[in-house]
Order: sequence, then structure tokens, then C-alpha cells
Amino acid sequence: MAAHGTSTAQDGTSAASPHVYTASAAHGLAVTAVTDTTPAGGTPVVPAPAEQSGPALAAQTTSPAGRVSATSRGRSRFPRSLRPSTWLPTTVSVVVVALAWSWVASENKYLLPPLSAVGDLLVEDSALFASNAWATLQIAIVGLGIGFGAAFVLAVVMSEIGVLRRAIMPLAIVLNVTPVVALAPALVVAFGFGMTPKVIVTAIITFFPVLINVTTGLRSVPVPVLHVFSTLHASRLEVLLRLRMPSALPFTLAALRVVLPLSIVGAVVAEFVAPGSSSGLGTMIKTSAANSQLAQLYAAIAWLAAMGVVMLLLITVIEKRLLFWHESQQGATS
Amino acid sequence: MSAEAVAPDARTSGAVAGVSTVGELAPHVVADPDHIVVRGLHKTYPGSSVAALSDVELVVPRGTFVSLIGPSGCGKSTLLRAVAGLEGFDDGSITIFGATPEEACTAKSVGLVPQAPALLPWLTVRQNVELPHKVNRRADRRRADRERKHPVPSAPGLDAFADVDSLLDMVNLTDAADKHPGALSGGMQQRVAIARAFGLRPEILLMDEPFSALDEFTREALRLQLLTLWQRMRTTVLFVTHSVREAVTLSDQIVVMSARPGQVHEVIDVDLPRPRGADVLLSPQLHTIEDRVRASLQGAWEAGAAPVDLVAG
Repeated sequence: MAAHGTSTAQDGTSAASPHVYTASAAHGLAVTAVTDTTPAGGTPVVPAPAEQSGPALAAQTTSPAGRVSATSRGRSRFPRSLRPSTWLPTTVSVVVVALAWSWVASENKYLLPPLSAVGDLLVEDSALFASNAWATLQIAIVGLGIGFGAAFVLAVVMSEIGVLRRAIMPLAIVLNVTPVVALAPALVVAFGFGMTPKVIVTAIITFFPVLINVTTGLRSVPVPVLHVFSTLHASRLEVLLRLRMPSALPFTLAALRVVLPLSIVGAVVAEFVAPGSSSGLGTMIKTSAANSQLAQLYAAIAWLAAMGVVMLLLITVIEKRLLFWHESQQGATS
Repeated sequence: MSAEAVAPDARTSGAVAGVSTVGELAPHVVADPDHIVVRGLHKTYPGSSVAALSDVELVVPRGTFVSLIGPSGCGKSTLLRAVAGLEGFDDGSITIFGATPEEACTAKSVGLVPQAPALLPWLTVRQNVELPHKVNRRADRRRADRERKHPVPSAPGLDAFADVDSLLDMVNLTDAADKHPGALSGGMQQRVAIARAFGLRPEILLMDEPFSALDEFTREALRLQLLTLWQRMRTTVLFVTHSVREAVTLSDQIVVMSARPGQVHEVIDVDLPRPRGADVLLSPQLHTIEDRVRASLQGAWEAGAAPVDLVAG
């Protein structure tokens, strides 16, 4: 669980990012932009290892006549996502895991349930799982909303008023390093059973990464741009709205990439440690474990994993849309 | 940092060639509204033993193109930033046509083109060029009021700078108007930055080595384009460069500075005729002036302390 507060996006010095371009006399000739196949000089984003090793290996073994670059400019027959080199390694590893699972399950049924049992449950009781998933999702979304909102507002306030930053940041750090599960019983005492303590737990879990990332993002405006705004005598509000917030967007979305799945985790953990409802996938997991119903247990886990993946896909789509201008999106292959 | 009295009887009424005067003059400011005056400027960075700027004196008449040239560490960029109000200084004064740098910035009379293009990558070229008009609108309103109260005969062609489309056309960026800076080459990005600064119709244009990151041919082409733009607007320009050719091509005056401590070594007038086209750049007169500037630079280099001193400190 990468719950570290460090930002996963790069330094926001976008103005100086070097690109490969065909040189032109400065008489208005059109310049072709860098295509997204050649890695630009300044992008530190590393494509997924599977992408790199797979195509490279395939190129070396299958093409005798000259080296076919894995990132050849659109001359391959299939789009990248459909090429066997892309989905084959993943599929192979999934199959291997499934086989290993079945073997362990056949040896010892208290270790892992048979995959067929899990599959059957998923199909038969899909409505039950769906309603429980919705209960967990509600907690996750509300908690995320509160945690994100509070972190964003606090980050903006702290970036503008230095005194508040020095006052609040240490408290936030202490909150971050305190195990949230230790706070849960206290929250139950304070707010009783029900949704409130769960939402608070989720909010606390999602708070810190967003705070750190947005704070860093708001401060990562290149100095020359700040100078230009200063000579225009732009007000602090104008600098905040026109300059700092858009600069913080890559960092914010990077934080969302971390906390969106984390919110699900938070909701489940909250259901474990702050009991008081009969619904939710976390509650389901607890009762299944208590009754040694392994198939149900793993079915719930499968639903949680699927929800996490959907969240990640969502954020990836949003990032592509909103961050088309940022280096992190150029040359990206994932 | 209040302005000192400089030649009180030199204050002229009326403006020069369509460029309006800077703001209401504060009562205590009795300074020359037609010159940029730097007097006795001192600045030392904390932790440094040698002054970045030491007793720098400079007078720039309105409408001249002045280059600042000198070896590294001579304080030319520091001086530019001080004039822009971006950096404070320890002693001395700077007045921009009678106002302090802060007052000039408040009135949006200062255009800055920094070394890196400093464009906003999430905006298109057109939006980037329009940006100054959306920021600090109060200054625009005050300027409009002033121009209504004291209508100034505007120079022909000045209106072309007010319209974004004609501005983009002047820098040959009409085709790229809807692209984002990430899709442009370095030369094109600097053209956008220059267009943005010219669109302000500033009283003073500050350019900090804007072409230094570009290749030779792009540099030459952009120089000529800058000359064409400047011919139409005739604003006052302070241009920092380390290229002698560039300084001689563009400017009316070249200020040669020496380093450690940073001070003005010599001011050389460039007597080449205006408007300057490609033909002037081939004239032998240009080379004579270039040689003179180079000789002066050599003297400036020798006048300053050896670089080794700074590395050790």
C-alpha cells in the first residue's frame, strides 16, 4: 500500500521541458510535435517493465531483417494494446497464478477455496455482493470527498499563509503517522455506531497524500512565470487561480491515483474496526472469516479488487483528458 | 527606495509618440518622466563577499534600445530584475519615467521576456498572448480612463498591437494560434513570449537573454523580427545579452559591464541607421562597432577580479 505522502508526479518545470523537434527557420514554418512513440529527452516517466522487456525480446527473436524498434512509428499491423506482446505476459502470469491457486486449494481447503466455488458464488449471489459493494463504496466516496476537500482547502490556505503552514503541518504529520485503526474505537465512542466513524476513518486515510501533493503542486510554479506575473502586478488571488492551481493539477491527480483505491481500503478497514452495520464488503469479509466460508471471503475480496481497478481506470482517463499538456502524458505508454 | 530629484526642469509635458505617461506621479517624485534613471545602485547577495552591483549609474532616454553586455557575474541580469521590481537592492534608486519599479508594474507598463519562455503550458498560444489583458484589469481600466481624459495622438500601427490576431500575424504564429506550447519549438515559444510582452504595449520592455537557448539561425531570424516589431512600437528596451553581434544589431546604446564587483565599464553608442534591415547587418560599419565592443569587453574582463576568486568563495 503506497500510502507515502510523496508526490509521484515530476517537478512541475514544464516550461523548459526539452522536446525533439525538427528545426525550422523562425519564419513561421510549421514544426512537427514530438510523437508519443519516441521518449522525449526530459520525461522521467518509466513505462511498465513488461512493456519494455516484452517488445524488446520479441523484436530480437522474431525479426531477423534489421532491428524492429518496439516503438516503431505506427508501422506495425496492430495497435499497441492488441499486440500479443502487450497482453501475453499478463495473461500468462494470471494463468500461472490461477493454476497455483487451484493446486493449493486442492491440497488444503482451509488455505484457499477452489476457484470454481468462488466463481459460482460470484454468479449466484451477484446481487448480494453488489448491494454490499455499494454500501462500501458509499463510505469510500463520502470519506474521500471529505478527506480530499479538507486537504485541498487546507493546502491552499497553507500555501498562501506561511504562519498557518508552520502551525498546521506538524499536526497533519502526526495524524498521518498515527495508525488510523487505533483511532477507530475512540471515534466509535464519540460518534456511535453507524456510518460516521467509518467515513471519518476513510477521510483520515485519504487526507495526508492529498495535502502533501497539493501543497507541493501549488509551489511548483517555474520562477520565470512568477516573474512575468509579478511584472504584471497580478494579485495573489490571480496568481493562485491562474497559475498555482493549474500547476498543482498533475500533483493533485497523482494523489488521487493513490487515494482513490485507498479510500476503498479505508472503508473496508473502517468496517473491520468500527463495527456497527450489517452491510458492506468489509463486514462480509469479517463474518465469512468467522464462519470459515472461504469462498464467500474471496469473492468479496475479488469485488474489492475489481472496484480498485475501476477506480484506477477512471483516474487514468481523467488524467489523459486534463493533463494533455503535461510531460507525464507525453511519451506515456501505459 | 524613493526616487530622487533629477533635473526638475527637464520635465516635459505631453507624451512622446503615442506612449502614455506612467500613472499619476506621486507628489514627492519630481523625476524626469522621459528617462529611466538608475543612480548609485548597490546590491550584495547575502553570503557573498563581493557585490553583485556596485555603484551602477545609468540613464536611458525614452524610446532607446539599450543592451547590457558583460562577462558572467557582471550583474546584468540582476540589474534587469532590479529595474523590473523583482529584486530589491541595498542602496541607490531606480526610476522608470519618474515612477518606482513597483508603480510601473502596478500600471502594467513593464513587459518582461525572461530567458526561458515562461508560457503557461495548459493554455493555447492565443490564450497565452491574451493573458496579460486578463490579469490586473484595474490597471487597464485606469489606463483607459487616462487615455480618455488626455487623448494622445497614437503612433500609426500602435493599434495593431492591441489586437491579438494582428499580433500573432506579426510574429508569424497565426497557424499555431490554437496549439499548446508543448507542441512548439523553442524559437516559436520565444516568439509567443515576445508577442505577449508587446501586446501589453509596455513603456519599458525588459528582455533577459531571450534568444540564448536557440540555435544561431533561429537567433538571427528572431533578431530581425524583433527589430521589425520594435520599429513599429518604439518602446524603451533593456536587453541583456552575451552576444556582441546581437547587441550591435539591435541597440542604440550598449552598456558594457564588468564583474566582481558588477559595475558599468563603458557605454558605447551604436551609430547604425534606423530602420535596420538585413543590409545594415552586412555593412562594414557594423564590424567596426563590434570590434569596439569586443575591445571594451576585453577591458571589462580584465577589470574584474579573476573568476577563481569567486569559485573559492
